[in-house]
Parts: sequence; C-alpha cells; structure tokens
Amino acid sequence: MGKKITKPTPKIALIHQSIATFPWMTALENVKLGLKYRKLPKEEEDKIARKMLEIVGLSGFENFYPKQLSGGMRQRVAIARALAAEPIVLLMDEPFSHLDELTAEGLRQEIYQMIFSPETNLRAAVLVSHNLNEVVELADRVYVLNGSPATVVDVIKIEMERPRDPRDPQFAKYLDELYKSLTPIRKKLNNEGKL
Amino acid sequence: MNLSLLIVMILASLVTLGRVWVTILFSIVSGWFLAYASIKNRIFENIYVSLIEVFESVPVFSFFPVVLLFFVFDIGGSLGVELAVLFLVFTAVTWNIWMGQYQAFKTVPQDLLEVSENYRLKFWGKLSKVYIPYSIPRIAANLIPSFADAMFYITVSEVFAVGVHTYQVFGIGTIIANLVASGDYLDAIIGVIIIGIFTTIITLLLREFSRYAVDRYGLDTEIVVRKRGRIHFGYTTRLTSALSYVTRLSKVFPTPAILSKSVEEEEEKEHKYLWKISGILVGSLLLALILYGAITTILSVPLSTWKYLISTIPEDLVAIGVDYLRVAVISIVSLAFAIFVGYYLATHERAEKIVIPIIQAYAALPAPAYFPLLFLVTISFVSKIFGLFTNEVYVLFLGFISTFYYVFYSYWMGVKNLPHQYWEIMKNYNLSFWQKMRYVILPGTFPYIIAGLSSTINSAWGGLAIAEYWPNIIQNYNLEVHTGLMKIIDVATANGNITLASWISVFFGIIVIIYSIFFTRKLMDLARKKYIAEEGIYLA
Repeated sequence: MGKKITKPTPKIALIHQSIATFPWMTALENVKLGLKYRKLPKEEEDKIARKMLEIVGLSGFENFYPKQLSGGMRQRVAIARALAAEPIVLLMDEPFSHLDELTAEGLRQEIYQMIFSPETNLRAAVLVSHNLNEVVELADRVYVLNGSPATVVDVIKIEMERPRDPRDPQFAKYLDELYKSLTPIRKKLNNEGKL
Repeated sequence: MNLSLLIVMILASLVTLGRVWVTILFSIVSGWFLAYASIKNRIFENIYVSLIEVFESVPVFSFFPVVLLFFVFDIGGSLGVELAVLFLVFTAVTWNIWMGQYQAFKTVPQDLLEVSENYRLKFWGKLSKVYIPYSIPRIAANLIPSFADAMFYITVSEVFAVGVHTYQVFGIGTIIANLVASGDYLDAIIGVIIIGIFTTIITLLLREFSRYAVDRYGLDTEIVVRKRGRIHFGYTTRLTSALSYVTRLSKVFPTPAILSKSVEEEEEKEHKYLWKISGILVGSLLLALILYGAITTILSVPLSTWKYLISTIPEDLVAIGVDYLRVAVISIVSLAFAIFVGYYLATHERAEKIVIPIIQAYAALPAPAYFPLLFLVTISFVSKIFGLFTNEVYVLFLGFISTFYYVFYSYWMGVKNLPHQYWEIMKNYNLSFWQKMRYVILPGTFPYIIAGLSSTINSAWGGLAIAEYWPNIIQNYNLEVHTGLMKIIDVATANGNITLASWISVFFGIIVIIYSIFFTRKLMDLARKKYIAEEGIYLA
C-alpha cells in the first residue's frame, strides 16, 4: 500500500475473461499456484487452498480436474486461486462473459460475499463489464468509458443497499443514467475520414 | 580452385537438390490421393495410417542394406543406384508429409464439407477446392524438417560401398566425399559452403512460404489454428492427436450433414460402395505384397543361415542396449538444450528473430557433408580431453547435431502456443523460473515435447548409423565404436554380408516398433488426455 506499482504483483490479482485454469492440475493444485510465491510449508499451502475453495463454494471438488467442472465452477477455481494470493485489489476482466446467463446470474449474486468475505484481505475489485445490470448490481462506483480511443466520460456512484433488486425503481434509474452516458457511442473520425 | 570445379559443384548441388525436390513433390502429390482414399475408406485408412506409423518410427538409414539388395542387385546398373538413392530420400521425407496431409484432410471443418456437398462438387472439385487448399499450411510447415532430413540422408547416400564395390551417383555429396578422400580439404570446404548457401536460401524461402500458406489458406478460427500448430509437429504416433477436440465431439454427435441425407443418397451410397471396394482391394494388395515379400525372403534363406542369424541374437541385444544408451544421452542433451534455449528464445523476441532462422538453416545443412572436416580440425584437441572416449564423443556429437532440431523446434512452438493467459498468470503470481517450468511450461508443452522427442529419437538412430562405423573418415582415421547395433549393420554391409545386415535391420525394426507402441504411444496418449494447454482456456 502506498507503493508505486512497476510490474505485475500477486497483491493485485487478475481474473481473466476467458476462464484460465490448468488442465493438468486438480482444482486444489490450481488454487495452490496462487500461493507459490509465498513459499509456505506444504501443509499450510494445502490448508489455505482448501479454505479458498470453501469460500468460493467448491468444498468437495478439491480433487476434480477442470475438465470435470462446469464453466461456472472453473471460474470459481480461478477466483479462489486469485484470492489465495492474498490480493488487496482484484482485477476482473468481464469474468462472467463466457458463462451462460443462468450460471452468470448465480455467480454474480454470490460474488460480493465471496470476495469481500471477512476471511480475505481484499479491499477493492475493479470489474470490466458490458452488462449494465451486472454493473449496477455489483459496483459502488462506475467509471464509464466511451469514445475511440476510450476515455472516462462519466463517474457514477451507486448508493444502494445490498442485496440490490433489479425491480427496485432506484436500480432502473441508475441503469438509465448509465445508458445516457454511453449513448450516443462517441466515435472520432480518423485521418481518412472513416469511422 | 579452378572455375570448372566450382561450376561442377554448383551443378552437383542442383542435381542433389533436384533429387530432394523430385521426391518431395512426389510425396506431396501421392499423399493427396492417399489421404483422400483414407478418409473415404476406413479399412484403407487403418492400414495406411498403421503403415505410416511403422515406417516413420523405423530409422530409414538402418534399412539401407535391404533397399540396396533390391535396387542395386535386382534392378542394377546406374538406374538401380539412382533409384536406391531416391528411395532412401523418399523414406526420409515422406512419412511426415503424408501424415500431415492425412491429418489435414481428416480435420477439414464440417461446414466447408457441407458447402462442397451443397454445391455438388465432385471428386476433383472437392479435392482442388477444399481438401488441397486446406492441407497447404500443414504441408508448408512439414517441408522444413522434411527438407533438412532429406539433405542429411542424401549427402551420405550418394556414395555407398557394399563389399568391394563402391556405388555412387553424381551429386554434391559424392563430390565432397571424393575431395575429402583425396585430401583436397579446401575444395571440400568450398563444396560445403556452396551447399550451405543453397540450403540456407531454400530454408528461408520455405519459412516465407510457410508464413504465406498460413495467411492465405489458414482458417480464422482461433481453436483450429492453434490445433494446427500443435499437431503438425508430431512425427510419430500422431493419429488421434489429429482429431481436434471439436472434431472428436462432432463424431459423437450426429451432424446436420448426417441427419439430413439428401435425395442423392442412393448415388452417394453407390459412390461409397465403390470407395469401400477399392479401399479393401488396395489395402489387401499392400498387405499381400508385404506378406509375399516376407515369406519369399524367409524361404529363400537356407536353414543353416537362419541358425547362424539366430545365434547372433545375444550379441545383438547387447549392441542394441548400448545404442539405446547412446540414443538416451543424445535425447537428454537435446531436450535440455531445447528446454533452456527454446524458452529463452520464445521469451526474447529480438534474439528469437535472429537465432531461429540460423538454427533452421543450420539444421538443414547436411551434417555428414561437413562432419569429416570438423573432425579434422578438432580431433587433436578432443582426443587430448577425452582420450579413450574420443570416438564415443564424436558419435554422440554427430547424433546430437543431426537430431536436436526436432525436439527443440517442437518445444519452441509449444512455448509459443501457450495461451497468453498463462503468461499473465505466471507474471501475476510472481512464479520463479523453476516454478514456471514445473507447473506451467513443461506440462503445457508436454505433447510438443513428446512429439519432438520421438522424432529426435528416431533421427538419432540415423546419426548413429552413420557415425558408429565411418572408415577412413579423413586422413586414414577410422571413426568406429566398440559396440553398437548400427555398427554391426554398417560392417556387415561393407563386407557384403547383406543377409546379416538385413536380418539385424529387421530385428532392430521389430524392437523399435515395440518401443514405439509401448512407450511413445503411451506417453502421447497421456499427453492428449491431460496436457492440452488450449483446453485450459474455457470459451463457452
């Protein structure tokens, strides 16, 4: 904290859009990868990794290989791996975009409790998303990017109690606000006059 | 050096290259038809693919005596010698080209096939509009190692001795060998430089062609392109690795093409029937020929000779054990070189741009052509260090330079093909070099390593066949090992004892096939089951 970031660090963990797990490692081993940099004793490593899988709701799946898990479960493994590294900030690049809507919905509901559980050191998560419902449901502060090249065109604070209900009029108001700052899509003409 | 010798050398290089390209072109054209036949007929496919697997896992050079027996003695004359050389080169280049084509034909996307059915393309239409273009990138990628292999073998096979007879054809290999034999080292070096220039130019052109082929004929689909990157490097036991995950799935589920058989079903059936019959015929004919060859050979050898041959088995087993040890050393050194240098290059773009073309061109430069000269320059120094083991060191070194390329290149491709997400994860979690290797890079490149290593092992035998017994390599020095199966074959051939040479070749072939079935295939299956890095990236 308070230090300049010059290279990737486990303190800022990344969750990929295309869910990345290692097919030759079990769920538990995948999670342990996030702990390697800490050079802990084996038992300690094992204990933390199991705890992280429990946080993301995958107790009992420790010895499953990614191929034996659904897309949603694989993304949970990736989240557990990131959390195992004890990050302060989590970067999530459209983490639900490769999941079917039902799975994504389920995971979205749980994500907040999951990543900000008292058992993690996490202070903040930066989530990139095109899904405005998802944004209003999860975010405290929204930085709206628009134009080409993209720049921050708006910052919207979402002050709603959790859990947030999409049928709440307040929810719809925030959605409208987001739509407004995103439309029209601002495009610049390039040198040849093309969009 | 006089001008006329220079011109002769250039002409000889062109003749040698001509031989190589005639065989490569023949392999490509015949491969298209054979691949088409094998995707149309399952029986033919099984026989064809099994035969390729067997032939490519047996080091061709060790079979040279058997080839000689047929071409030199049965056909005879300069034509026989020329055909023997061409056949040897053919066996060096063909299998991976044929296998690549077969894999390409087998993995043509269902959508393209449906379109070709839709427009009622016939045999030529399908072949020229769909299958052949689709196979071009795979062929292009296979041309570089095939060309290197061909150059390696042709330079040693242009001159060969059986008993008191020396047979030779006009070519740069012959000229260099003769110059070395007569002590004209400077001219021999110029000969090596000339063929070096040719091979470098051709290798660089092939690189460009490969790039062009992928640009022009490659598909945009991410998965397919990646799979292509992976499979074209398996030279051995690659049958099912050819079938991408998607293709394997598509075999399980009925595709629209299968569900919606058109009104032309009857016509189609007739067509299939024809393919089936011709496939069975061709397949049976091939098997019959092989059986006939085997039975007539067995019957033509008198019983006393059989007794003698069988009595050599214990000695042969010891010799093959020693040779496997040599192959193991060569493979381990090659693998270590591949893992460290390959990783360094794959992660340092600037070094990679310079070093990879150099390694490719060097690999294509035929080692047997320059090895005697290298030997002459280094012998006094090397013999001081290694004493009694000097010859062993040279044999292992020739094995290494003739074969390290396969595992190196395959591994390097594997590292390059690792999903970028894995690199980000490794950086994100601050993994150390060894942690990266252990948890991500080695497992992630495992299929590539196995495919490359099996090619390296096969080629190492070729290197040993040349190096274990090289009488009068230069200045009356004999490069010779104490024990080795390849040496027994070489000595038997040189003494004109073709029966013994053939027997050991066959004996060796059987051991190699058993090894391939029980070892290489098992590893390849494991690699396919568990270590496909692309499957770790979930894209719904």
